[in-house]
Amino acid sequence: MASGARGGALAPALLVLPGVTWLVAFFVLPLLTLARTSFGAPWWGGYARAVTGFGAVFARSFGFAALATVIALVLAYPLAYVLAFRAGRWRGVLLGLVILPFFTTFLVRTFAWKTIMNDDGLVVRALQAVHLLPPGGRLLDTAWAVVGGLTYNFLPFMILPIYASLEKVDRRLVEAAQDLFSGPARAFRLVVLPLSLPGVLAGSLLTFIPAAGDFVNAELLGGPNQRMIGSVIQGQFLQVRDYPLAAALSFGLMALIAVGVVVAARLLREEQLA
Amino acid sequence: MSRLSRRRFLGTTLGVAAAAVGGSDVVGCRSSGGGSRVLRISNWPLYIDDRTIPDFQRATGITVQYHEDINDNNEFFAKIAEPLRRGQSIDRDVIVLTDWVAGRMIRLGYATPLDLQAFPNRANLSALAQNADFDPGRRYTVPWLFGMVGLGYNPRVTGREITSVRDLFDPAFKGRVTMVTEMRDTLGLVMLGEGRDPARCTAADIQVAAARVKQARESGQVRAFTGNDYTEDLANGNIAVAIAWSGDIQGLHADNPDLVWVAPREGAILFSDNMLSPKSSDRLSLAMAWIDWCYAPAHSAQIVSRAGYISAVQGAIPELERIAPSLAQSPLVNPPASLLAQLRTFRSLSDEEDASFTRVFLDAIGG
Repeated sequence: MASGARGGALAPALLVLPGVTWLVAFFVLPLLTLARTSFGAPWWGGYARAVTGFGAVFARSFGFAALATVIALVLAYPLAYVLAFRAGRWRGVLLGLVILPFFTTFLVRTFAWKTIMNDDGLVVRALQAVHLLPPGGRLLDTAWAVVGGLTYNFLPFMILPIYASLEKVDRRLVEAAQDLFSGPARAFRLVVLPLSLPGVLAGSLLTFIPAAGDFVNAELLGGPNQRMIGSVIQGQFLQVRDYPLAAALSFGLMALIAVGVVVAARLLREEQLA
Repeated sequence: MSRLSRRRFLGTTLGVAAAAVGGSDVVGCRSSGGGSRVLRISNWPLYIDDRTIPDFQRATGITVQYHEDINDNNEFFAKIAEPLRRGQSIDRDVIVLTDWVAGRMIRLGYATPLDLQAFPNRANLSALAQNADFDPGRRYTVPWLFGMVGLGYNPRVTGREITSVRDLFDPAFKGRVTMVTEMRDTLGLVMLGEGRDPARCTAADIQVAAARVKQARESGQVRAFTGNDYTEDLANGNIAVAIAWSGDIQGLHADNPDLVWVAPREGAILFSDNMLSPKSSDRLSLAMAWIDWCYAPAHSAQIVSRAGYISAVQGAIPELERIAPSLAQSPLVNPPASLLAQLRTFRSLSDEEDASFTRVFLDAIGG
């Protein structure tokens, strides 16, 4: 029947309609508005000031985010590995523990870090006792505090994708590698690790991207020499109300991250082909 | 129980972040009451006692919705400016803004003139409050309270008396100094230390003060630029000297009697936070009833007893002596003539000046 056939052809379109509507209304349109805002007078003025005045802040933001991503990866991979292969009946409980902190808001957890790293708190005293911090040294308002806060806040975003990709690895492949005289290390390097790379990439992006644009950690845990681009954008929007510059900075951040993602995806594809 | 003052709040950052996370937004929320006998007020946190509103409601039959949703002048203004420009309601009938933003509201036509017929207690306006350069003749605004910006310190931590703005830059306190993110307060005070006058400052004065701040930030002398959150670090000794709002230190005295607020010998900054009715409000008579109520000396004393700042109402101090005799003696609430003589008010800036000075300031503090 003609109408039935047409209905069949329409079905996919109808199915994507809610998602597309959502994206257009809450992502594309605001983005276009932001783009229009970024064109001051002259139209490139905001971009020129963004490039000339804020290079150091961009560099710092990406540096902090990259460091936090690497640390999170080092912490997350073994944990995800244990969750996927060794946790047995504890798996559900351990996964629950990974997600548990999310039941409290981001803001409250970051404030808790302020207390934990307080100048005369236990952590600082312990570090001073083992001479990792000089007497009178501090953690709060330093780069370490910011990187630590970023790592902590985005760690679950690293753990979960790695766990998901490790969990899907076919155990028989590992057994096959062992049958072919691979030791555990070699089997891991040649079989498990490459198969988990998509999870590593996804986790790294999910950590790096929000970390680079984050401003809560830098504002609460960092000092005035640790400001990140998110704080600067916030300041330009709400304090100076230089909307073209703030919008241009936002687009600059977005563009740099997009380039980074494309490069990372390329590298991964080549890695998998090799 | 510790008395708190409005500046002693978590500060700028938490304010924004909380708004972003989804706190009650001035612009977003529609008033739930909606009745015409409902008065909607925005004020700073911890800036009122807990008797004034119930007393007012009982006496007038007006229902008050009191929102402590102003944490930062710039951020609050950024939230309300756009709806006011478009002629939309911000669902507030009285808001309390610091002198310079109140001035900006008046310039932009966002403030409704006060109805003096309905404001008999205006006669109680103190000498200090009679006039304001941002609102000549006080046609649109009257102060909620006055406050002072000076230095806060704990003599046991500094080991000596602090007398000068220049003590902020003493290498002995490296990494143990905070300044505030409010441009006029930090640059105004530093400017006084450089022998320049914030009441008549030029772009060059701003540059000099900002350079001093920037150098101190880069060298690590200044640990943080804060909202109200410096109070905690000052109280527990992490910070030696802070640029401090007088009422904060007054509020901390209950738990930390050692803390000292001092007007440096070069001078201190006087600011006012002012009540005004935004043009979107259709309840001026209710707003005036509230403002008039707050200008009765006994009511103002009641507010000061908790807020710890300076009343703008003639006769409030004798009333305060009856309910809080020791507070009434505090120079932070009842400044003697010698202290008043040391106070300077940051002059009004044009919008262009404000934008360019703010940019210089943000660069200095690393924002």
